[in-house]
Amino acid sequence: MKKLVLLTIVAVIMMIPSLAAAQTATGTLTVTATVNSSINLVFNNDAAGVPLSSGAGTNTATLAFGNVSAFGAIAANITRSTTAANFTVSTPVDVLVTKANSASANYTLKAQLGAADAVNTWQVGGVAVTNAAQATITATGAYGSNVAEAIAITVPFATANGTAISNTINFTATAN
Amino acid sequence: MVNRYNALRNLALMALLLSGAALFAQTATGTINATLVNKSGIALVFDTDAGGVALGASGTSTATLNFGTISAFGPLSAGVTRPSVGPVTFTVQTIFDVNVIEGGLTSANYTLTANLAAAAPTGISYKIDAVSLTTAAQTIQTNGAYNADTAHNLGLVVSMSAPGAGGPAVGSPISATINFTATAN
Repeated sequence: MKKLVLLTIVAVIMMIPSLAAAQTATGTLTVTATVNSSINLVFNNDAAGVPLSSGAGTNTATLAFGNVSAFGAIAANITRSTTAANFTVSTPVDVLVTKANSASANYTLKAQLGAADAVNTWQVGGVAVTNAAQATITATGAYGSNVAEAIAITVPFATANGTAISNTINFTATAN
Repeated sequence: MVNRYNALRNLALMALLLSGAALFAQTATGTINATLVNKSGIALVFDTDAGGVALGASGTSTATLNFGTISAFGPLSAGVTRPSVGPVTFTVQTIFDVNVIEGGLTSANYTLTANLAAAAPTGISYKIDAVSLTTAAQTIQTNGAYNADTAHNLGLVVSMSAPGAGGPAVGSPISATINFTATAN
């Protein structure tokens, strides 16, 4: 009987370490990253403007005025003015420039036509825009809020009926 | 005469000794009784995941992971994704594998915990999968399978604030060490 008790005690003692100390393994992962400041530009629909046909919320959007004329019906949210020789249609588009990890106070926004247009005149925010050089639209753009920029096209009366007018306006925002 | 006899005898003895050394190669023998105790155990290593950043010292328990240059809007290194941006933070993420190898255990699986070795740098927090890391151990997984690469997402949640205004330092590498512990269940 004594032997049996003794054997039991020994067996229990031998089992204790395996119960008490769970097997573990460790590893160390060193993680490195270099943060850079950055800014981003997107186009958004303006509440008072023609909705962007595509790309709202991105930096590659499409704005379609639809059919425009000097005196006929015009789509909602298009402003029209007429002179003796031409008419101008205009609608606002929101430009949103966001910054990250930057102490920049504001930004400069420039615009340039993608291709020459010898017939029509283009404006962004009241500033004439051509393909010859970038035009400064604003030098003190505020980050993080939609800034309405009027996109205007002046069309001569001499333009033939049904003429499609199309161009690309390239915008560049630069942190100040 | 006697001296001459002795000299001859000595020469003969030397010749015999030398010839013996030449005829029989010298040998030595020994016996060693080797004993080993087969100890059960587990080990943890980090492996590069095919979809993630290549680890430094992949296949070891002391690896490095470099996200490279990260930003809210700029380009990222291969294997790094940016699942969310703004308005307050942006997150960059990559995948790495943990392989816990076991031998001699009856354990069915393991529990994986992780903690930051030191407080996170200003403007950055670290996540493994959905778990935000602190300097205290956090449970990442409770049923890890042994002897297989298990993919985990490592996320960096970065404040978009400017340096000095709650955001991280920019333009220089920021490092943190994450300690992992696998415990057999």
